Amino acid sequence: MRGPSLLFCPFGRLPTGAARTSKVVGSQQMLKAGACCTLCPAGCGVQRVQAGPDVWRIDPPLRDTGGLCPRGVTLGELLNHRKRILWPARREDGGWRQATMDDVASAVAAAARERGVTVFLDANVPCEQLSAAASWCRAWPGAKLCLVLEPAEEQLLLGVEAGGAEHVGEDALADCDGFLIVGDAFAANPRASRGVFLRRTEQARTPIISIDPAGGTAAKFATHAVPVVPGQEAGALAALAAGAGVRIDLAGLAVPKNPAARAAGEALARCERPAVLLAAEHGRTAAWREVGYLASQLAAAMGGQIACETAGANALAALRYGAKQGTVGLAEALADRAAAWVVVGCDLLGMLGWTGVPILAAAAAMPNETTNAAGFVLPVALPAEMAGTFLLSGLREAAVEAVLPPPAGVPTPGELIEKLALAAGAGVPVEPDEPAPFERLACDPPAAVACADPDGLVLLFGRQAAQAGCGALTGHGAWQQAVAPLPELRLSEADAEAMGVAPLAAVGVSANGTSVRAVAHVSRQTPRGVAVLPEGSAACRRLAACEIDESAGQVLARPAVVEITP
Amino acid sequence: MPEVIERRVLVDLDRCIECRSCAAACYYSHADYPAVGFARAGWALLPMICRQCKAAACVAACPVEAMVRDASGVVRRGLFRCIGCGSCARACPFGVIPNELGGTPVGCRSPEGLTGHQVAKCDLCEDRTAADPDAVPRCVAACPSGALQFADEHEAEQQHLQVVGGRSTADDLFKRR
Repeated sequence: MRGPSLLFCPFGRLPTGAARTSKVVGSQQMLKAGACCTLCPAGCGVQRVQAGPDVWRIDPPLRDTGGLCPRGVTLGELLNHRKRILWPARREDGGWRQATMDDVASAVAAAARERGVTVFLDANVPCEQLSAAASWCRAWPGAKLCLVLEPAEEQLLLGVEAGGAEHVGEDALADCDGFLIVGDAFAANPRASRGVFLRRTEQARTPIISIDPAGGTAAKFATHAVPVVPGQEAGALAALAAGAGVRIDLAGLAVPKNPAARAAGEALARCERPAVLLAAEHGRTAAWREVGYLASQLAAAMGGQIACETAGANALAALRYGAKQGTVGLAEALADRAAAWVVVGCDLLGMLGWTGVPILAAAAAMPNETTNAAGFVLPVALPAEMAGTFLLSGLREAAVEAVLPPPAGVPTPGELIEKLALAAGAGVPVEPDEPAPFERLACDPPAAVACADPDGLVLLFGRQAAQAGCGALTGHGAWQQAVAPLPELRLSEADAEAMGVAPLAAVGVSANGTSVRAVAHVSRQTPRGVAVLPEGSAACRRLAACEIDESAGQVLARPAVVEITP
Repeated sequence: MPEVIERRVLVDLDRCIECRSCAAACYYSHADYPAVGFARAGWALLPMICRQCKAAACVAACPVEAMVRDASGVVRRGLFRCIGCGSCARACPFGVIPNELGGTPVGCRSPEGLTGHQVAKCDLCEDRTAADPDAVPRCVAACPSGALQFADEHEAEQQHLQVVGGRSTADDLFKRR
């Protein structure tokens, strides 16, 4: 027998190079126009590829159309993931037993009658899902709806809304002539970097100003790196605004002496159309609202625009929609421990860094901290399986197609809440007059808050391009688990030497009575006095768990002091 | 003798934001054989992508002729000839043929990593480029910052891109050393 043995396979399943090419391209590779990733506001285009009879994956588009970060590529694996939650289950004797939707619905209905129910819905869903959930919760006696955004991002967006600046999309960043980047906006939305670099290619002296106490990716490319004490980003911004000659109207704000910030402000003042890129990371500061307001006012005063690189594509729309629909704020909802909690689509406990909170029912596509704590677990569609309207980049109203429909029997969040509400005796809701979901909110300017200067090695969280939010979905990706089996802890050379930590050594990181194992990465880029852990890890977030500030009606996580044990 | 390809994956180091999108896209499309790796160089995390050398040391080093230049000029690894000896990875002067990913050997057919080890090698995503002449490899299409480009020497010159090691790297592998 001569020739490659592959050609003699009786089933024709062994792929030679040519055969694989023709198969994949000819019959199996399918383009899905309009589908896009909705894990961040960039809305990158994706291509659905069939990789077997029932196996799908997501590829970047055939041509270079702007990129697709690891989060978007991982969505394809999640469509067929072996851990996917596909049917309801109840906790019994420390294990899980398969249940029916009726079992769960009757348990939720009974709890709602007794003590009321709070439905926590992931805000990163299409507007149609938000609308359906709001309608059914209004018709459901004893039910309240809370749209869940990352607490830091919610405060940042409220500040930005009050500041009055216009939003700018990634594609228009190349037309801006100066960039102020707060936090690691390049990791939050990698596509935002392309516009910045295109502009820099045309005009090499374009100012790129970074305010990032953790020294993230964006800080590497900065022409002006503004030194900032962790938690004091608002003060650095105020000093920068003073340097730029912009008067910021914020009661009680003290402008610190920061020569580097003033110099950066002077450089920004020479720009005609600057862009401000914001990424609000967990546990960085208690003053994200002030940061958003200052940045927004600064951009508006200088004729510039603003880009909020949130963890979900629809965060701004959900914020605006929730305020107009009268949904319950996160702080208020979390403070009501008497009500039964039903969590739909998000990892509430993982996001907050909480443990030991009773959850009646949790609906998720993949297991997470919240489903692990819940009495009932329900399946729900992935973000890639929901079609609908998104407000991308804060200004693009986009009708997004689902990459695939949800598996049989797996509901969307709206359908799930409808089933629960009907079982609890809700009547069919009257369709209300929908307020314009994308209209800017009228917010009051925030008051300046005093931020304590922690004494010791300060723990900060850095956004990662590989993880969305707290990593509840993308953390199940095989690639993410292969490249970083342990979280990466970034330290400065001086701190690592002082603590006797060698590069790539496994270390213990402890704070707030909890600890995690991490791999030390020693970096010249990391400022002295801070330790940076990934934000996309629920285990790491427990080191700086969120608190409820009832007086301000906020949920916030402050920078924590950590101990590192080699 | 097959012709040598003209377009290669170029890395503009001044644009790489270390997001590793290229590595993730390669991993998910090539199953157990991701060919894009990363290396830490000082405080930078650099993508390691095959340069498709004109005088490819990996081809010369392969004892079983699994590493070949195919009809389109792409240096690729024949899956069922490869015995996973790693000769190509050791011969590569640029260290871009990965042996492991996060401490786990790549290209193992069994989860225990005990059987069927083959070396992962970039094939420039020929399944895409064969379908559409304007298509680019997945790592390039996935790169959000524009650091990766699928270009020939002239295109690189037009964009004022300086290819690290000079363009002669592809003619003489060891010249840059």
